[in-house]
Amino acid sequence: MSWILTLMAPILGGLLYGIERKLKARMQSRQGPPLLQPFYDLFKLSDKRPMMIHSFHAAMGIVHFAAAWVALAVLFFGGDLLVAIFFHLLSAALLIVAGYSARSAYSRIGSTRELIAIAALEPVLILSAIGFYLHSGSFEVSAILNAPPSLLPSILGFAALLIALPGLLKKSPFDAAEGHQEIVGGAEIEFSGRFYEAVYTAKWLDMIFVFTLVFLFGGNNLLLGITLAVSAFLTVVFADNATARVRYTDMVRILYSVAFVLAAANLIVGVVL
Amino acid sequence: MIAEFLRRFRKKSPWVLHYNAGSCNGCDIEILACLAPKYDLERLGIRNTGNPKQSDIFLVTGPVTQRSRERLVELYTQIPEPKVVVACGSCTCTGGVFRGMYGSEDGIDRYIPVDVYIGGCAPHPEQIIDGLVQALEILEKKSKNVEQPKKLMGEISERDGGIDKTNMAGKL
Repeated sequence: MSWILTLMAPILGGLLYGIERKLKARMQSRQGPPLLQPFYDLFKLSDKRPMMIHSFHAAMGIVHFAAAWVALAVLFFGGDLLVAIFFHLLSAALLIVAGYSARSAYSRIGSTRELIAIAALEPVLILSAIGFYLHSGSFEVSAILNAPPSLLPSILGFAALLIALPGLLKKSPFDAAEGHQEIVGGAEIEFSGRFYEAVYTAKWLDMIFVFTLVFLFGGNNLLLGITLAVSAFLTVVFADNATARVRYTDMVRILYSVAFVLAAANLIVGVVL
Repeated sequence: MIAEFLRRFRKKSPWVLHYNAGSCNGCDIEILACLAPKYDLERLGIRNTGNPKQSDIFLVTGPVTQRSRERLVELYTQIPEPKVVVACGSCTCTGGVFRGMYGSEDGIDRYIPVDVYIGGCAPHPEQIIDGLVQALEILEKKSKNVEQPKKLMGEISERDGGIDKTNMAGKL
C-alpha cells in the first residue's frame, strides 16, 4: 500500500491539480480545462526544444522534485514526521538555490521572497508536528494514525495549519513568492521545457504532502481524516479565488501574529491539559 | 513514435505569452475578455503565462513602437521551439492607423515571422479565439528547428518604406 501510494503520488497529484483547476474555474462560473490538463501540459513540455540556463540550475530543479517525493514517501511509509518536514524544507531550499544561481532579477526576487516565506511557514509546521507528539506520544506517522483523532484536542494547531496552507501551496493570499502577474513565477521563471516539468510536478507532490498533513488530524478515524483533507482543499481553493495577494512583509506579519501564535497556544494547551 | 505521441499534446496545452508592443490597450482588453467567463479560453488548455521560456504562442498587440522592438525580438528568441506568432489587431498586422508614423514600425512582420494575422480594431473575442485555433493547427505541424527573427537574418524585403505583404503571404 505504501509503495503503491508513493509510486502513484505524481499521478494522484496531477489529478488533484486537475480537479483544483476545474473547481477554480467552476467557482468563477467558467467551464475550465479538462480534468487531465496537467498531464497534457506535461507531455507538451517534454516536446519543446530543450533550453538550459546551466546544468546546475536544471539539476537543482530535478533534485527539488526528488526531495519533495522523498518527503512524501516518509509520510506514506509511516516514518518520522520531522524527517518528512525536513525533506519538505530541503526541497524548497533547493529551488531557492536554483533561483539564486540564475542571473535573472525576477528569479532572485522570487527566491528571496520564498526564503522569507519559509522562515514564516516552517515554524508553524514544526509546532504542529510537536502538537501531534503531545497528543500521540510519538513523531511516527504510523503511531499518529493509530492514536485517536487529534482534531478536538489540538483545534488551535489545526487552525494554524489551515492559515498556513495557502502559503505552503503558494496560493493567494500568500503567493507573493510566486506572484504570477508581478514576478512571473519567481524562482521557477528560468525553467523551460523538460526542465520545468520537474518543478511543475513537484508542485503537485507539495499539494499531496500538505493535505496528508491535514489528514493526520483525523488519527485512527479514516473518514474524519478524509473529510478534513477535502474541506481544507475546498477552503484553499475558495481562498485562492476570493482573496487578493498580500505583500510579503504583511504575509510574514500575519503568519507570525496569527498562525504561529495559534500553533504555540496549541502546545501550551496540550501541555497543561 | 514517441515524438508522434507527444506531438498530439501541443494542441491541447498551448501556453500564451501576451506582449503589448505599443498597443492602445483595446486589443489587450479583448484578450482579457477571451479569458473571462463568457469565452473562457482555459477550456482549450490555454494559459496566459507571461513567461517566454514556458510559452508556445506569442500573441502580440500593437504597431511595434521603436522602444518596444528590441523587447519584441528578445521575447521571440526566448520562446523555445515549436512556437507560433499571432499578430492580434490591425496595428500589429499592418501598422493600422499608425502606419507611416515616425515612431511606428508598421507591424511586427518586419521583425519576426508571423503565422496568423487577426484583423480588426479591436478584433472581437470570437476572432481572437478563431485565430488562436488556427495557430494551434500550425503549431502541431511545426518542427523543433531554431527560428530566427527576420531583421537579424537580413531577409527583409522592403517596398517604399513598408514590407511587401504579397510575397510574404505567398511564403506562409
